[in-house]
Amino acid sequence: MMALLEFREKLRSFYGKYDAVLVPIIKFVVSAASFWMLNSNVGYMEKLKNPAVWLMLSAVCSFLPYGVISFLAGAILIGHISSVSLEMALILTVFLVMVAVLYYGFQPGDSYLLLLTPLFFQFRIPYVIPLLAGLSGGLASVVPASFGVFIYYIIQYVKQNAGVLTNDAGLDITQKYVQIINNMINNNLMLVMIAAFIIGILTVYLIRTLSVDYAWHMAIVAGALVQLVVIFVGDFLFDVSVPMVELLIGVIIAMLVAAVYNFFIFAVDYSRTEYIQFEDDDYCYYVKAVPKITVSAPDVKVQKINSTRSRRREL
Amino acid sequence: MLNEDRIKLMTSIGMFEKREGQKIFPVYRFFKSDYIGRHMLRSFLGYTFCWLLGTALAVLYKAEDFLSSLNFNDIAGCGRMYLGAYLMGLAAYLLITYVVYWRRYEYASRGMKVYVAKLKRLEKRYEMQSKNGQGGRKA
Repeated sequence: MMALLEFREKLRSFYGKYDAVLVPIIKFVVSAASFWMLNSNVGYMEKLKNPAVWLMLSAVCSFLPYGVISFLAGAILIGHISSVSLEMALILTVFLVMVAVLYYGFQPGDSYLLLLTPLFFQFRIPYVIPLLAGLSGGLASVVPASFGVFIYYIIQYVKQNAGVLTNDAGLDITQKYVQIINNMINNNLMLVMIAAFIIGILTVYLIRTLSVDYAWHMAIVAGALVQLVVIFVGDFLFDVSVPMVELLIGVIIAMLVAAVYNFFIFAVDYSRTEYIQFEDDDYCYYVKAVPKITVSAPDVKVQKINSTRSRRREL
Repeated sequence: MLNEDRIKLMTSIGMFEKREGQKIFPVYRFFKSDYIGRHMLRSFLGYTFCWLLGTALAVLYKAEDFLSSLNFNDIAGCGRMYLGAYLMGLAAYLLITYVVYWRRYEYASRGMKVYVAKLKRLEKRYEMQSKNGQGGRKA
């Protein structure tokens, strides 16, 4: 435990020292992974699929805020989809514009969730998102996380139906819209996953903010269980198929990632909790103070004395 | 001669400006009612724009039904339903906007008080220094 705490302190001091370099690197990795994910799933526009293009774009994204990176990722997604179906691209554009105006008009600063949610789905560990969003964000995190799920399933829909979307010349324009919107809305798996995300985030957030010992640990476990329950209920009611082994492994990995996050952000020692009570003219205060676990990073200095001794011998 | 206390205070003010400045100064340029009203107007326009986009999609979705049964009553009923949804959605969205920006203004007011208190402390240090002559504080 002590070694881990020392490692944490070292990591913190390293981040503090080199954050000017680390933050752009993290942004580069996130944007490159997002563009790669889009290209590998719906890379229908050859120009955008060129590695030089998306790597250059990722390099530019290193210095941009996450909101702009999300906007660029959205533009790339629409570009790819427009090569397959203009109707689909139009519908997606309308949805993206609506979310951008209605939600991001408030400048909530959580657009990284829009990028990370489809990315974590791609890596088969989507259940991490509700746990991390509930631990780190507020209730409003349900909006970008849910929209991230929506984007992922749109990508999957286009990937699986690219042939149908391209060769539907027999249908008139209204029939195409009806078909696409019906397929988008009636995707039960997507609806179940959105429900799991919303309920997961709310559960984690509400338990995390309780004034009880080990609230963060309980929130992580409850968040993971609630997601499992919602998916099982969805499986039972709507007959959606989620691979069981993948689901269980994903949830376990999500809990581990959340535990690591908890260790780095909120490591406290409940055994040394103190309760203080005092009052002023207006209020009575019942304060619960939980000390953070902190250790000072070891500062080892090696002093060489051999050289002095040898110099003396020479003398 | 350098005054260590003053440097610490100025650094703390600088850090405060860097971390909280964006949340405080642009907000505090307005009166509370102007700030909230401005954002509510923006929300009204944004919501109306999105509703028009959504309605355009809905019309495309329902176009075949409309064209197959060109019944004025059905179309009028549908129009009333969309208008009702617009008004209810608008009311809810404006309420959310009001709450969000009211809270942001309160946060900025509290931050501004802290900032002004820090500046006053710095000003006092300068006054003390000028009273004691060149060279800063005297123990």
